[in-house]
Amino acid sequence: MKNNIRELREAHNLSQEELARKLDVSRQTVNAIENDKYDPMLPLAFKIAKVFGKTVEDVFLPEHKKK
Amino acid sequence: MEQATVKSGAPKNHNGLISTVLFVLTYFVARMVLEQEEMAESLRVLAALLPVAPFAWMLWEIIKGVRSMDELEQRIQLEALVVAYPLTLILLMTLGLLEIAIKLPPEDLSYRHVWAMLPVFYFLGLAIAKRRYR
Repeated sequence: MKNNIRELREAHNLSQEELARKLDVSRQTVNAIENDKYDPMLPLAFKIAKVFGKTVEDVFLPEHKKK
Repeated sequence: MEQATVKSGAPKNHNGLISTVLFVLTYFVARMVLEQEEMAESLRVLAALLPVAPFAWMLWEIIKGVRSMDELEQRIQLEALVVAYPLTLILLMTLGLLEIAIKLPPEDLSYRHVWAMLPVFYFLGLAIAKRRYR
């Protein structure tokens, strides 16, 4: 699954550390999600969308990950 | 098990480290005491059971630590155990079979020494899992 968290985070002038604090996760987790290394579970996906004032569909794109 | 990565803004908890150090210390104290063969049997049993309480504390701290991790960190721990558990099984199984096949030196390959490989397998699994999500 692709996402545009990096773009949204930069548009909101947030560092990975600041976003991690808002989401109550580690910076490494934010980094892994941004780099498509990890797809978050639904509660975290909704939390991420809420931080940016978007819907989950706006943030996460249902595109198959390239193997 | 590795201490939980402190999430942003969360207070640091040193109990995991203290309980681990205490467990290791009591284990080696027990080993030293049990070397004294002239000691009364009741005291020897007491010494053998000495590390159990610190271990129980350490286990509780590990459980609390894992519960406080975020979802990716919990997944990394799970993947580390997925590597460590089968490796432990194959090590013990192979040693068991070898013990039947040939005479193994008990001073080097008894369960008193083999258990030290388990943390090695766990940290190997942890390194593999962490690399995957880097």
